[in-house]
Amino acid sequence: MRRVVVTGLGVISPLGNDPSTFFDNLMAGKSGIKRIDADFCERLSSPIAASVIFDASAYFPVPKLRALDRVSQFALAAAGQALEDAATALSEEDRVRTGVFLGSGMGGANTTDEGYRNLYAKGSDRVKPYTVLMAMSNAPASWIGIEYGFKGPNVTVSTACSSSAVAIGEAWRRIKSGEADVMLAGGAEAPLNFGTLKAWEALKTLALEDAVDPSASCKPFAKDRTGLVLGEGAAILVLEEYRRVARRAARIYGEIVGYGLSTDAVHITRPTVEGQARAMQLAIKSAELDARQIDYINAHGTGTLQNDGVETSAIKRVFGERAYRIPVSSTKSMHGHLLGAAGAIEFVVTLLAMRASAVPPTINLHTPDPECDLDYVAEGGRLDLETKVVMSNSFAFGGTNAVLIARKPQFASKIRCRQGARQASTRVVGSGIHNFSAVSS
Amino acid sequence: MPTLERLQEVMLKNFDLKAEALEPKARLADLDIDSLGVIDLMFCVEDEFKITVSREQVELDTIQDVVTYIDHLIAEQETAGPQKETAP
Repeated sequence: MRRVVVTGLGVISPLGNDPSTFFDNLMAGKSGIKRIDADFCERLSSPIAASVIFDASAYFPVPKLRALDRVSQFALAAAGQALEDAATALSEEDRVRTGVFLGSGMGGANTTDEGYRNLYAKGSDRVKPYTVLMAMSNAPASWIGIEYGFKGPNVTVSTACSSSAVAIGEAWRRIKSGEADVMLAGGAEAPLNFGTLKAWEALKTLALEDAVDPSASCKPFAKDRTGLVLGEGAAILVLEEYRRVARRAARIYGEIVGYGLSTDAVHITRPTVEGQARAMQLAIKSAELDARQIDYINAHGTGTLQNDGVETSAIKRVFGERAYRIPVSSTKSMHGHLLGAAGAIEFVVTLLAMRASAVPPTINLHTPDPECDLDYVAEGGRLDLETKVVMSNSFAFGGTNAVLIARKPQFASKIRCRQGARQASTRVVGSGIHNFSAVSS
Repeated sequence: MPTLERLQEVMLKNFDLKAEALEPKARLADLDIDSLGVIDLMFCVEDEFKITVSREQVELDTIQDVVTYIDHLIAEQETAGPQKETAP
């Protein structure tokens, strides 16, 4: 059986543009949500979002930037980080068996918004020549393929908020089945333009701005939760077939062991306990594990009235009485809802939590909801936990539910941890995420 | 300002090229401006010169070719009367 491990991570997020800064901020309970600083914020009923601080000119030459929507900029930056992190040498032959699977809900939404503004608001009769190429949803994955010469399958998944969890799960399958040896998998999203924000506002699903502290507006599982807060960013993982990794001294973040995919098929927005529970059960089954082995769940936890109660019930249905003893956190309370990139960035959180034996909190949960009565790690990040097997939930409008399971590396042969490869970013942490030495047994 | 100088300014501003590379005989392909890049360049040219680039296929190989084409469009569109505002 071919096994699949994660050897590289790349993150562009509202809480830092590398995995360790991002994870440390989460462990510290910091929020990346803030008031939007844009001329249109006066026209938004709730002008808050989790935006990324990103200097595109530091990553790309000017001519290239002309053809890259912000979503592709994020994806390329995260892919570069992940590949550097994995430090895997890819021959021309390897690149033919390397694929890119990304998720994106809105694609190049900023480009679409700008094009329409030119036509409708400014009365122009033309849009930029690159508009189609910047707005198309598969641009981020395509650019990664072009940049690195990856000639294996290149697929963009668009299942709304579960897009990148599906992308990772499907990429995992490609390696398991032998169709690819290396996959870049993850997601990217850049939806913080006026048109997209207004569309979400119209759905009455965005959180109201907290009157005292705008950064505390997203309150998953709390009685006073009012909705989700949109975020932007990208998270990309390097997945490799284990034997490739065993041949070199590689850092392993974790082994992906399970993936469950189900569909509600009931309503375009309303989730179901049955559908969410089935995705978790399918993931556990595909991992050949027992529900009792799951040590941490990174919840979908949007902070909407609908999701959090349904997800709580679904977790109880799957785990029974043990549900009350599993730490469950929604890090969306801090990094916001990255839509098509949410599944990937939260799977990164899940892997880093496993590796650090630490669990990030759900912040802003001060007023418990009787319907949401699990252990949401509301008191702050928790250290020194048993985190051998971890799960990440991603559920979506349209009803596509995706669940990923990872476990700490356990392999017969020894793999040395690659020390000091990323010293520039290895400061930090009470969480001790850099002290982990891959391997055992 | 002569067309060549204005075109050179547009190219310097939008395409991050070196001024000394923008000789009239310089080939666009050698400046990494491919077929899509030419479309992008002509979009900027429309803004700068307040002209409309036609849909007819025109062979634009060198910077001088672009200058000649711009001068042709200016002459043609001046006689045809003022163009509709196109700048976004």
